[in-house]
Amino acid sequence: MYLTVRDATKTYGNFTALDRVSIEIEKGEFVCLLGPSGCGKTTLLRLIAGLTELDGGTITLEDATLSDLPARKRGFGIVFQSYSLFPNMTVAENIGYGLKIRGVQKDDIAARVQELLALVKLPQVADNLPGQLSGGQQQRIALARAIAVDPRVLLLDEPLSALDAKVRSVLRDEIRQVQRSLGIPTLMVTHDQEEALALADKIICMNHGVVVQAGTPEDLYHRPATRFVAEFMGISNLLSADPVARHFPDLMSTRPASEDSYLACIRPEQIGVTPSETGAAVVRSISFLGNLRRLEVDGPAGPLWVETHGGSPYRPGDRVELSIAPEACTWVVDDTAGTGAVSA
Amino acid sequence: MSVAETSSRARTRRRLDADRLLTLACIGLPLLGLILFFAYPMVIVFLRSITVGDSYGLGNYTEVLGSSGFWRATRHSLAMGGATTALSVFLGFIIAHGLYRCAFRGKWLIRSVIVLPLLAPSLVQALGLIFLLGRNGVISRMLGVEIEIYGFWGLLIANTLYALPQAVMIIGAALVLLDARTYEAAEVMGAPPWRQFRDLTLPAARFGILNAAFVCFTITITDFGNAAVIGGDYSVLATEIYSQVVGQRNFNMGAVVGIMLLLPTVISYSIERQAMKRQQAGQVTGQEPYRPSFAPLRDISMAALSLLICAGIVSVIGIVVYASFVTLWPYNMALSPKHYDITLAGGYSSLWMTVVISLAAAAGGTIAVFLLGLGLRRLPKAVAQPIQILAAMPAAVPGMVLGLAYILTFNSTATPLYLLYGTAALIAIINFYHYHTQSFLTLMTGFRQLPLALEEAANSLGAGLGRTARDIVVPFIAPMLVSVFFFLFMRSMVTLSAVVFLTTPDLSVAAVTIMRLDDAGLTSQAAAFSTCVMAVVCLAVLSMKAVLALLRRRGGNRGAA
Repeated sequence: MYLTVRDATKTYGNFTALDRVSIEIEKGEFVCLLGPSGCGKTTLLRLIAGLTELDGGTITLEDATLSDLPARKRGFGIVFQSYSLFPNMTVAENIGYGLKIRGVQKDDIAARVQELLALVKLPQVADNLPGQLSGGQQQRIALARAIAVDPRVLLLDEPLSALDAKVRSVLRDEIRQVQRSLGIPTLMVTHDQEEALALADKIICMNHGVVVQAGTPEDLYHRPATRFVAEFMGISNLLSADPVARHFPDLMSTRPASEDSYLACIRPEQIGVTPSETGAAVVRSISFLGNLRRLEVDGPAGPLWVETHGGSPYRPGDRVELSIAPEACTWVVDDTAGTGAVSA
Repeated sequence: MSVAETSSRARTRRRLDADRLLTLACIGLPLLGLILFFAYPMVIVFLRSITVGDSYGLGNYTEVLGSSGFWRATRHSLAMGGATTALSVFLGFIIAHGLYRCAFRGKWLIRSVIVLPLLAPSLVQALGLIFLLGRNGVISRMLGVEIEIYGFWGLLIANTLYALPQAVMIIGAALVLLDARTYEAAEVMGAPPWRQFRDLTLPAARFGILNAAFVCFTITITDFGNAAVIGGDYSVLATEIYSQVVGQRNFNMGAVVGIMLLLPTVISYSIERQAMKRQQAGQVTGQEPYRPSFAPLRDISMAALSLLICAGIVSVIGIVVYASFVTLWPYNMALSPKHYDITLAGGYSSLWMTVVISLAAAAGGTIAVFLLGLGLRRLPKAVAQPIQILAAMPAAVPGMVLGLAYILTFNSTATPLYLLYGTAALIAIINFYHYHTQSFLTLMTGFRQLPLALEEAANSLGAGLGRTARDIVVPFIAPMLVSVFFFLFMRSMVTLSAVVFLTTPDLSVAAVTIMRLDDAGLTSQAAAFSTCVMAVVCLAVLSMKAVLALLRRRGGNRGAA
């Protein structure tokens, strides 16, 4: 294992930001820390960067402990949500700053800066001040500045959150491409599950200062372990055992043991829908989302979300038949008890 | 292993690396200064106020509270404070409203004239009034009437001129907060101009007006210069301390009066700080500045009123400069430079000494508040907050009280601090701590605009605290550092109240020399000396503008390259 965090704990007064969190990053891996605001993901990133001090636990990089190494000696690269370019330095000076501190020759710095500017596709802006660049351009320069020093780990703190949608998706792909080609182990904090799904080799889903589930994007989307993960990773239908047993008895076969606290989780695109005059369910509303349509269907088991592709013949009030394959259903632990509604 | 065990292990492992030591030094040195040169003298002045013979007691207080002189001075101080506050806030609102909510040309003129009183020692207003309205004053002679300018009315006008710039700045800052969109919304909803004024402008200025009132009140009751020159028999608390200490060598009684003067200023200052916080809480980013359109009735009357007030300021300051060149006021009005030949012992040496002292106070002070601000960012909030409160406290202490505290502390052989007594260094130090709060708060505003992420990014790239400070922090807050430097320089050039006790026959400062010249009846020479001080300060203002413009241009040019 390349970077290992074991039992990391951080408290602020009475508030426990992190409670014995353990994570691992392998060489070349792109890991996303995903969770709602206040879940402790940024605290964890700052602990790894050395910008915040650990209250308990250890952080090791290739078996060497990092805990007493100040941030400036860790050799990591970091990119913040707010770009954080030095406003008094030109783009080239920004990118070369880490190299200058390391005593690299002027000519070598200039060459490296040119190379990095080409890598982030902004070869013309070397002499501009950060204030003259757009948000997306500034964030590319921030990325170049972070990777200029060949960091041992690249840390990205919500790097795309301040950008508008179009720029965000372009930069998302570029970050992935740069990370792949350089093979830098990368840890990115995000609250956007789509971003995490698109970028990560591994997603670590956090809530209330603990890791809820870690795994590949496919794992977290299709096989969420808890209700929190299921709801956080996109839209899902969550049904308790009783209505499932009555209306979709096939699904009961996959339920672990006979645990009543488990909920059946079915993604809306996994539900088959066919028009039927005698169908038990009624279409209540339809949202057109471009590439798909999302139907809200009232069935005997309660309201369900269903997604269909292509031209949909449905209109509100239509009767339909619903079908769910047993393998499409995952049983999840209800870890957000007391929220009332069963359907998401 | 339990959490508690791991955390205690992590703590013992934390090494004292270079950055930690540097942070400690950044905090430690300025903090030591605050304790030695502010907190400790204040404790001493308090202890002296309760010293009776060889033991402690409230004897001094009962004596002071039983004397009619003290009560008269208190009554006078409060009446003068109240009247000056009312007048300067009223006039200040008119000017601020004109500047920020009306459309007329020549606002730059009003803006420059309004700060003139800040560029001169406070007793210059008093001098100017004497030349205008005194027995031999221009206006008195023209009208052929005898005006009794010494006393309440003269002091009221002098103090108002002195407090007015503060009132305009504070009320103006509050008005600016209300942005164009708010007025546009009101306009669309059908509110006529007078309603917009009543329902938007006035409420927005409410905290500003309150704030300005407290600042003006504090300035007035703590000012010594005007009261000394034009107060006449109208004794106030500041002159009462002076006469107790300098006249009767009664330090303990002076300390008591000082503590009594401290009460209203501390109360006023703490209320003002609260009001300021509420105003800041109401601030939003991304404002659209309000651009008033021309409304003849409102704008012409506002412009006329503002210009009238400015004419008053210009004539009071201008007459001092004019009088300094008059051969023999008021008998021989021919111009001559003879009053610039100062006959008082020492001549101009005190002016040059003041320049040196002011440079030292400005340089040392700027470095000290910079280190403090830099270090405070790296401390946990629970530790930083008490230090911040201490750093913001000196503004509540009147200069007279601080000066008294300094002689009581440093003119005592009990500690090695005695070595500082009678040196120019001590005058530089008292000037810095007298204006510590304003310097500190200005720089903290700069630090607040500097995102923590910038320093963290530098840190992650391998820069230590020293390097981050040099490469990132200093360039970012350079304009604030320049402002603080010149602020301290200018205040040190003109301040009188704090240093009046610390000067000796061999070591004087400009403001004290002006007072001595006036005392000696050499009023024209006092005017000449004042003119020289104002020239130095004006030069400082111009230098500051030039440096700030240079800083801005350098940033701009590099961007365009």
